[in-house]
Amino acid sequence: MIQLLASAAVTGLMLGGLYGALAVGLSLIFGIIRVINFAHGAFLMLSMYASFWLWYFFHINPYLSILLVVPLFFLFGYAVQQLVIRPMFVRERALVVEPLGVLLLTAGLDLVLSNLALLFFKSDYRAVISPLGDSTLRLGFLDLNLPRFLLFLLSFAITGGLYWILNHTEVGVAIRSVGQNREAAALCGVNVYRIYSLTFGLGTAVLAMVGAAMTPFYYINPSMGSALGVKSFIVVVLGGLGSVPGALLGGLILGVVESVTAQFVPATTSVIFSFLLFIIVMLWRPKGLMGMLEA
Amino acid sequence: MPISALECVHANAPSVEGRDHPRRSSALSWWIIAAATLLFLIIPLLLHDPYYLHIFILVFLFAYLGTAWSLVGMAGQLSLGHAAFLGIGGYTSTLLFMEWGVTPWLGMWMGAILSAVVGILIGYPTFRLRGPYFALTTIAFAEILRIYVENTEVGPFGIPLRAGMGLLVPLKGSAPALFQFDSKEPYYYLSFLMMCMAVGLSFLINRTRFGFYLAAIRADQDAAESLGINSTRFKLLAMTVSCLLAALGGTFYAQYFRYINPERAMGLGISIEIALVGIVGGWQTVLGPTIGSVLLSPLSELVRAYLGGTYAGLHLIFYGLVLMVVVLFLPNGIFGPLQMAIRRLEAKIRKSDEKG
Repeated sequence: MIQLLASAAVTGLMLGGLYGALAVGLSLIFGIIRVINFAHGAFLMLSMYASFWLWYFFHINPYLSILLVVPLFFLFGYAVQQLVIRPMFVRERALVVEPLGVLLLTAGLDLVLSNLALLFFKSDYRAVISPLGDSTLRLGFLDLNLPRFLLFLLSFAITGGLYWILNHTEVGVAIRSVGQNREAAALCGVNVYRIYSLTFGLGTAVLAMVGAAMTPFYYINPSMGSALGVKSFIVVVLGGLGSVPGALLGGLILGVVESVTAQFVPATTSVIFSFLLFIIVMLWRPKGLMGMLEA
Repeated sequence: MPISALECVHANAPSVEGRDHPRRSSALSWWIIAAATLLFLIIPLLLHDPYYLHIFILVFLFAYLGTAWSLVGMAGQLSLGHAAFLGIGGYTSTLLFMEWGVTPWLGMWMGAILSAVVGILIGYPTFRLRGPYFALTTIAFAEILRIYVENTEVGPFGIPLRAGMGLLVPLKGSAPALFQFDSKEPYYYLSFLMMCMAVGLSFLINRTRFGFYLAAIRADQDAAESLGINSTRFKLLAMTVSCLLAALGGTFYAQYFRYINPERAMGLGISIEIALVGIVGGWQTVLGPTIGSVLLSPLSELVRAYLGGTYAGLHLIFYGLVLMVVVLFLPNGIFGPLQMAIRRLEAKIRKSDEKG
């Protein structure tokens, strides 16, 4: 029993690393731009397809494809902010827009992107087939799936890297200053709209990195985005809206909770449980768990 | 000078900056509404093709659901989980019919009561959340219900929910007493009647003190509360009426399609479809959802029918684009600009009358 629980906890940690890594970009975008990107899941799906096609047509290893996918999705995110979301800021002549409108706008974008993917890529499940996908790592009595373990490590690297960028580069400091006080940042000569676009690009690039690292073990399908997108929202709310380290922590907690409860109840009940967790945190701890720690 | 009722409705919508509505009686709007009503009443006499009637039924059904949905919107809260109430209504009446032979005419009211109770239970804690947080939480509630039903063969007390299989309404042929008709016409008039009643109810609500309270709450909740309006109470009241109506629509949905399943009756897709007709038309106006449905439902049905087979999901791309365009360019829906156009037309007519 203990062994079973320990193995569930470790599986949960691996899963949690994935959830955390997925949510980091979403949380960054919310924290800086105050935009809830409903299309986050669709972006992930697209990045996984990008990595998949690179493997399918050019036989590029998914891990190697990160080098191509990350800049591509940085540009994609930058363009989405510039072309789709920025018009709202311009219309309202404000540095922060009414969040409900942006939620609906990105919900529309989500519908368009996921169904375009359905139109062009069909609803078939696709997977990168490589010996790496099945290889395992033995740790004591536990068998770890190697790609999942690599993603777990990557999630810490991503969070750490992002934390470093935000704290030790000029752009990062500018991004944080915008997040703290838009007007003051603008007065100090920071081009707030440009920072918004950079932030959106950065958040999307980070997401694409996770997407590429997921392709060796995760089946790809046009509708996969919505389930993982919802998970990212839960994680962001758990970790505290806008907090980057909080997102990773929230992801790890959700992963372990899901994996351990799945030992006792059917998997669907554990999905319901994670939605309940979202509602409970929303209602009673809207600042998230990190907010609680700070208080 | 008498102020037309329609003016009142618009007068308590949040005023858009620099757009001052002169309090002129807009008789033309009333003529247009009357002409449209008359046209809808005689259409089945002229048009016998069941497919065209089906499109009209969808227009009325979604106008009805959108109007029901917009009652919560009038309290300033945008719900993206209204399919849950549609599903509760449809499932309750259908299960009562299948298990105990209760006619859906009666079952629909049981569903409505159940839906209203669930609405209050959900609304009470969540109405403190504003804007996107409320919207996301309503999605979560609706998804919980959908996932639960989708994975439960036999629910509590032995209720046969039949999981993802859905419920097939037993066919009884032409049985008006059991809410079943063998032609489209009765469904046509029934859905039309339901739409008119929902719009009428929304219109009446907007003319009463209750409607003014809702308008005050959505314009500025804190200011409204400081004037002594109990915002939670009135939001809950709006939610109750909205959930009741949505559930009645759910029974119609089940009886008309003779089949419901969790995905089609409770899924996020249908929640968005309901919200979309309201958002496109103007989600805080009486006639907005109806206009939204008249514009959207036929287009989406035609796209689905003619291109859906070869290009799955095309109608959803269309929905997504419409949503984006409306949010970017018509944030208050099409109702406001439409009314302005009618006003301008009216002024032109008046001027030419004076000349003549």
